[in-house]
Amino acid sequence: MTQFHRRRWSGRGLHPGCILGVLVFLGLGVSARATASPALQPFLTRHCVECHDAETRKGGLDLTAAVAAPETTAGIDRWVGIHDRVASGEMPPPKKKSRPTAGESRGFTNALAKVLLNTERQRIAREGRATQRRMNRHEYEQTVRDLLFLPALEVKGFLPEDGVVGGFNKVGAGLDVSHVHLGRYLSAAEFAVRSAMAPRVEAPKRTVQRFHAWDQGEFFGLIPLDGPKERRTFPLVGLKLMTNVMATLKRDAEPDADRRQREAMGVVVSTYEPTEIRFGGFRAPMTGRYRLRASGYSFWMGPKFTQVSKGRRSEPVTLYADSDPRILRRLGSFDFGVEPTVCELEVDLLAGETIRPDAARLHRSRPPDHRNPLTEADGMPGVAFQWLEVEGPIFEQWPPAGHQALFGALPIKDRPKAEGVSRRRQRPAGVAVESAEPAIDAERLLRSFLGRAYRGTVAEADVARFVTLVKGSMATGSDFTEAMIAGYTAVLSSPSFLYIDEPKPGKLADGALAERLSFFLWNAAPDAELRALAAKGRLQKPDVLRAQTERLLDDPRSRQFIDAFLDYWLDLRGIAATAPDEQLYPDYQLDDLLVESMATETQVFFGELIRRNLGITNLVDSEFAMLNERLARHYGIEGVDGVGFRRVPLRRERVRGGLLTQASVLKVTANGTTTSPVKRGAWVMSRIIGRPPPPAPPSVPAVEPDIRGATTIREQLAKHRTQESCNACHRLIDPAGFALENFDVMGGWRTRYRASGGDPVKGIGHNGNFFHFGLGPDVDASGELPDGRTFQDVRELKQLLVSDREQLARNLVRQLVVYATGAPVGFADRPEIEEILRANRRGDFPVRSLIHGVVQSDLFRNK
Amino acid sequence: MKRRTDIDGARGPFVSTGHGLSRRHFLRAAGVALSLPMLESMQPVFGRGPAAALPGSDGVPRRMLAVCNNLGLLPDNFFPKASGRDYAPSPYLEILRDLRQDFTVFSGVSHPDVDGGHPADNCFLTAAPHPGRGGFRNTISLDQYIAERIGHLTRFPSLNLGVNVEQGARSLSWTSSGVMIPCEEKPSEVFAQLFMQGSPAERAQQVRSLDVGRSILDSLSDQARGLQRRVNGADRDRLDQYFTSVRELEQRMQMSKEWESKPKPAVKAPVPLDPASPKEYMEKVRLMYDLARLAFETDSTRSIALLLDSVNSPAIDVEGTKITGGYHDLSHHGRSTDKLAQLRAIDEWHMRLIAGLATGLKSVREGDSNLLDRTMILYGSNLGNANTHVTTNLPTLLVGGGFRHGQHLGFDRERNYPLPNLFVSMLQRMGLETDRFASSTGTFRGLENA
Repeated sequence: MTQFHRRRWSGRGLHPGCILGVLVFLGLGVSARATASPALQPFLTRHCVECHDAETRKGGLDLTAAVAAPETTAGIDRWVGIHDRVASGEMPPPKKKSRPTAGESRGFTNALAKVLLNTERQRIAREGRATQRRMNRHEYEQTVRDLLFLPALEVKGFLPEDGVVGGFNKVGAGLDVSHVHLGRYLSAAEFAVRSAMAPRVEAPKRTVQRFHAWDQGEFFGLIPLDGPKERRTFPLVGLKLMTNVMATLKRDAEPDADRRQREAMGVVVSTYEPTEIRFGGFRAPMTGRYRLRASGYSFWMGPKFTQVSKGRRSEPVTLYADSDPRILRRLGSFDFGVEPTVCELEVDLLAGETIRPDAARLHRSRPPDHRNPLTEADGMPGVAFQWLEVEGPIFEQWPPAGHQALFGALPIKDRPKAEGVSRRRQRPAGVAVESAEPAIDAERLLRSFLGRAYRGTVAEADVARFVTLVKGSMATGSDFTEAMIAGYTAVLSSPSFLYIDEPKPGKLADGALAERLSFFLWNAAPDAELRALAAKGRLQKPDVLRAQTERLLDDPRSRQFIDAFLDYWLDLRGIAATAPDEQLYPDYQLDDLLVESMATETQVFFGELIRRNLGITNLVDSEFAMLNERLARHYGIEGVDGVGFRRVPLRRERVRGGLLTQASVLKVTANGTTTSPVKRGAWVMSRIIGRPPPPAPPSVPAVEPDIRGATTIREQLAKHRTQESCNACHRLIDPAGFALENFDVMGGWRTRYRASGGDPVKGIGHNGNFFHFGLGPDVDASGELPDGRTFQDVRELKQLLVSDREQLARNLVRQLVVYATGAPVGFADRPEIEEILRANRRGDFPVRSLIHGVVQSDLFRNK
Repeated sequence: MKRRTDIDGARGPFVSTGHGLSRRHFLRAAGVALSLPMLESMQPVFGRGPAAALPGSDGVPRRMLAVCNNLGLLPDNFFPKASGRDYAPSPYLEILRDLRQDFTVFSGVSHPDVDGGHPADNCFLTAAPHPGRGGFRNTISLDQYIAERIGHLTRFPSLNLGVNVEQGARSLSWTSSGVMIPCEEKPSEVFAQLFMQGSPAERAQQVRSLDVGRSILDSLSDQARGLQRRVNGADRDRLDQYFTSVRELEQRMQMSKEWESKPKPAVKAPVPLDPASPKEYMEKVRLMYDLARLAFETDSTRSIALLLDSVNSPAIDVEGTKITGGYHDLSHHGRSTDKLAQLRAIDEWHMRLIAGLATGLKSVREGDSNLLDRTMILYGSNLGNANTHVTTNLPTLLVGGGFRHGQHLGFDRERNYPLPNLFVSMLQRMGLETDRFASSTGTFRGLENA
């Protein structure tokens, strides 16, 4: 505080805010000392300081102390809070005897609003709304991928986690740089550059290879697996179980082409230790693009594992890229039908990865019980894998595009390993690039690369700077290749690459506007078309900007926006942070297909709202859901088959529909063991409604749900809420959370809580174990909103929330503005946001139109 | 570019480095070896000889190991009932009975305003308030505070270790600008960094890499300075950050180069084998404790932070007890007797490993004393009770380090005594002249030097 004022004092002469600061510091202030505006003083003294003084400090607010004045950037957040709470009538509290008249309050808020607006506008005029920021680690990775034509490159793991401000990893104040970051950028950049280079001179042959399951040790070797039979693999020819092969563990005959075509390896369990099937005969010889074709079918296994018959339904299969030690990347999924089915995926693989298939609907056979929940009287379902065909690596050109972006067409030769250096310290094998005229080549290549990497025009000084680095490096002993790698490493770690260039307050320059748009809707740097429009000065035209927004949204890369936005807005990045409790939720154990489907549902749902420009109320209640079979089963919705997501109409009396009742949201707001109306309620208020509750007081422990089932969380909260100091906030926070009590920690519907005691429920879980859990007290999902409207359950709550569609739209626009502009929404931004809403009031605030509204607004087009 | 004149002409290259401890993890996965070193564990030195750096020092090397188990311990089994020197040991402390005169147990202590449940582990060594809130910014951690001041005395200014830490997501160690320093997970790689000599060709390659790195940094600082001139206000602060980072990294590269020419200490211990599964949590903890002892024994560092990321651990293997639930899930025990029994078995192993570490240090002579008397082991948690996520009443032990131990310092369970005061006492014991750390109000009441 004092330091702040001192700086202002010396730097800018007498500022109205600091006179008071100094007075307060000297102890000379009046009763309400916090502001210099005389118009505000009487109201504060008369109505506020009784509770908000040094002694009582209600809500941690002491207006008699040296609170930073509203005229200062340091004080503004606090005063916006005061403004809003007085404006809404929440303060002074209704029970107070001498309340101000409506006119008095309005007079106060108007005067305060004027001060606040003025303060913010001055700052914006001086510095702009947004503070210059660097790319976050996701943007960095995507941008480097695009730049070097390496769609599977993984470098964000090198970089420390980014700070979150205003709910997103997009705000300058949260995107620090330290020597740690810089060291990491150097490593990440060098890694990326070396990854882009041709690993050898000779172009790899694009081959088509077929890997038969019978030939793979990871299939054939599991035929005699010890332990329960269901964990084994079963050699099949069509629908014939090859018992002789099972007995001898040898092929019975050299297969002819027809037999070869009909051979398959069957499983009745999902892939998991020890049944870890994979096509280990294939390992990606180098990083690149590959086309995978897998063939297989479903079958029915007899109860004694002695005979096989035709399958009764299709079965979902997920493919993972697998590198030791069991590092799995999900590549995609498809369904095998009852007849042999060939499915194709085009994927990017890293060098050394192999392919692990998983029949994901089947159970995982875990000790001690090893029971199959899918077993029927006459057997169980199974999946037969015939073969995997790999086409690739697919390169459009050699050396690869990334190499050419770095080294053009200069001749290359293979490079021997360094002598006297252990294997782990070897530089990656890669080609050496030869240059007859290093100085000239370096300048030419760097100039061309900088033209793409630096999203604006390239300054001669920058070219010279990096050419000097390369020359210096060669002069002290590096060869041309290593010197150039050092140069490119510098470029990809340099401030002009890392920082998004918005130097001046006011209207964004053309290039900066292109960057904003692209980092908004693609999470990456602008492509050639955007940059060309910016260079011609045309992007500023509203219709051109609009057309480009359409183009970016229609491009598949907009999925990068959707995923990144939802990761923070709805916390989807935490989808795997907790696992369902083994005792209370035995039925959910080891169900990867379910968890993988959850986040996807929300992503494709939000994508659908954008694609079809659907109204804002869909966020809370929609007549459709985006589902695959696994989720539909989770939700108790019938008639959805297969792993693919599709639009499913919901019945009128639906519980699902909208974000609140999606499993992903219900999972990220629970802890795996219990749910809390407080936590979920606060989440709904801040993320969906846009009225974030105040933070919990520091020393009060969280209400601990009692999983023995003696009391419900509602009863515990009711006790808590008899204290007025607690109830003041909880009446605002909890209601939406109560309505969601009908959903368990994985988003499944429940009418009774689970409890460690209680009425037992028995079954067999996805993990092959008998389970029993107890059913405890009934769920009461009714509640009362702060305005007095009541609801019986989540359906009624949704109808109440939908009635305030404008607030839903306001919240989404605010979230989008933070994400798109990299600055929190300030007091002075409010009129502009209201303007966006006004323009979209007709037609239920359609989501795509709101995105256009944000892009066309001054908030977006100015720094 | 003006080079660091501040260390030139100083008493010599005391400065240390580590090459990226956790980097190789990546590289192996990617099948590539980078040539630039990772530099975050390198610390700057400002031309101070040991005496200058340790004004309050008695000339004796002092060390610290800080351990945070981010799910804590079951409070009922940990805290003794009575305070003072004659306290009756709790069930857990019974395991440490042979060391009774070598540790102090604390109750009713916490970091003021450090709330927010799990994210509070970020503040275990920093005590920065409100880690769960938006806009939170961390501050320097105790281990880094020490490293910045006496890090130049050893090859490694500090070691930052972890067990089962989610990649890039958690660490006890934070820079003064509030940036997380990722921790090293693999015992074998820590060992290699500490004790394995590279070949001459490797060392030459390393020195060469550092030279290249420094010339890269020259080009970057040049550009940053140009950009700084174009902007004002908060924008300028952002670019200042970048500029400062370049300078600090440059200093670290210089020091790194100087250490390259010095041989590493030799130890008899074999290279540890890295446990393959996160289930082998306890084995990992034991290996990290062993490494800490070896690092202190060889005076390779004086400051170590170790995060036991129990939150991120599955159902772990514990000798003698079948653990059925993930560690985190168990901690939400909801008073289930089965879960409580399993947690107790886990906690007791924690206590046994601590006892093993302390006994091991005690058996190593150094000068006229032993290593335990010169090594402070701070063991604790950011959670007082993982079941309810409270961040007050933190279970805390201080073992060794030259204090008058053998007591239970109990404070008010409702209005906790500030734990940062313990950090101040520890810093002073390290020989650092300071009377403040984060929200401290003084030195720790009732804790005296031996």
